[in-house]
Amino acid sequence: MNRIIRITPKLIVTIFAFALSAASGPAGAAGKSYTVATDATWPPMEMVDANKQIVGFDIDYLTAAAKEADISVTFKNTAWDGIFAGIEAGQYDIIASSVTITDERKKKYDFSAPYIDIGQILVVPKAEAAATLAGMKGKNVGAQIGTTGAFEIKKSEGVALKTYDEIGLAFEDMAAGRIAGVVCDEPTAVQFALQKTEYKEKFKIVGAPFTTEAYGFVVQKGNTALVELLNKGIAAVKAKKQDEQLRAKWLR
Amino acid sequence: MSDPRSPAAVVEVGDGAAIPVRSDRGLFTAWRIAFVGAIGTLAALALFKPDPYLAILRFVPDGILVTFEVTLGAIALALAIGLVAGLGRISPNRLINGCASLYVEVIRGIPLLVQIFYIYYALGRIVKVPPLTSAIVAMAVCYGAYIGEVVRAGIQSIPKGQTEAAHALGMTRGQALLHVILPQAFRVILPPIGNEFIALLKDSSLVSIIAVADLLRRGREFASESFAYFETYTVIALVYLVITLFFSKLIGLVEERLHAGR
Repeated sequence: MNRIIRITPKLIVTIFAFALSAASGPAGAAGKSYTVATDATWPPMEMVDANKQIVGFDIDYLTAAAKEADISVTFKNTAWDGIFAGIEAGQYDIIASSVTITDERKKKYDFSAPYIDIGQILVVPKAEAAATLAGMKGKNVGAQIGTTGAFEIKKSEGVALKTYDEIGLAFEDMAAGRIAGVVCDEPTAVQFALQKTEYKEKFKIVGAPFTTEAYGFVVQKGNTALVELLNKGIAAVKAKKQDEQLRAKWLR
Repeated sequence: MSDPRSPAAVVEVGDGAAIPVRSDRGLFTAWRIAFVGAIGTLAALALFKPDPYLAILRFVPDGILVTFEVTLGAIALALAIGLVAGLGRISPNRLINGCASLYVEVIRGIPLLVQIFYIYYALGRIVKVPPLTSAIVAMAVCYGAYIGEVVRAGIQSIPKGQTEAAHALGMTRGQALLHVILPQAFRVILPPIGNEFIALLKDSSLVSIIAVADLLRRGREFASESFAYFETYTVIALVYLVITLFFSKLIGLVEERLHAGR
């Protein structure tokens, strides 16, 4: 049996230095470190890259805003279904996962200021003739569970909603011919329908986004200190026009 | 290893619910407390806190139906597959034996969740099957392997003298199996099959990942819209409990009847 970790003076010094640096941060909310939940299955907003790093528009945006607000953030890949339950239970401090600010969600959680406007869009196989979601009557349309896309399908009379744990599974099911359409946020739709080679040949995007929604970062109800910090960061990012650079980097 | 011929060898320590034993009589058995308690809790919650409990109970019934469809469809198919696989495993024909053994080894070595994903998404590219059929096939293929082992162990638990006696009476191998061995093996394999059934019922919740709107999926859909996670999963857990307790009682009664006829 060989030793796995050798306890050397150097290691002890390192541990102490680390403990000291963690303990000596400035008091108050600023300078603190926060855990952020994100469902990294929603390209290009949040996804896992080839190096197993969580990357995307939201990730860069929040990192930039956190820098402006003098806080640090670490991201944690979390399944979307239950992501809100986790913040309620205090498992993380912030959700940065393309969350649309809705009245229902505002009742249970607090939101930062909106940081980007996005709309829902319909993706269908190339042969599909319908021009709107309402035109998909009598057909199965898929969306990720608990997303505003799913809520829109549910609202459309006569259209049957199929919910999936990840949006990629909905597109895969459409590729297999089992559902007639998928509704999701426009950037994600573009990513799947126009950039993934296999889907590009099969799918098309129907018209323009049919909703206008604003994304916000989610915090636990009543955590106004953190909301203020995030808003300060978002305002600075917008003032410096960093958000436009991020758009150019991640969105088409 | 215990003696493979003793009936105790086939009683698997499974994932089944508390299947009542015959001595389990009286008013305050664990089964009664759990069953009445679960139904009572559900009724009380719906009555005194209709928002959101009654709303949840109204939302999930079609999911319960799908859970039944998946479970009953899968167990019927799994029994058929299991019988063939079990007989194949004791076949002297090396090809049949090899095929059955390979099936059991491969399937038992792959997690059910992965099998469900595989049959739905990977094979879905080649053969187009509706989600419900795909779910039933995936569950049946998996449980067929487990039931195959139960069948094999059950048949092997019947003393060899029984077969020898049947041969002495002039029966062929097939006749001996059909008229002498299988009827006896049936009694031995029924309890573990009951366990497998309960386990399958609970594992059917895994099919919710392939857009089959079963009980769990309906619950998750409700929770994702109302954010009433605690309340929804309380109801889902209690409904599953009521269903599994009901079936475990039913299986217990069938077993009791078989023993009574002995």
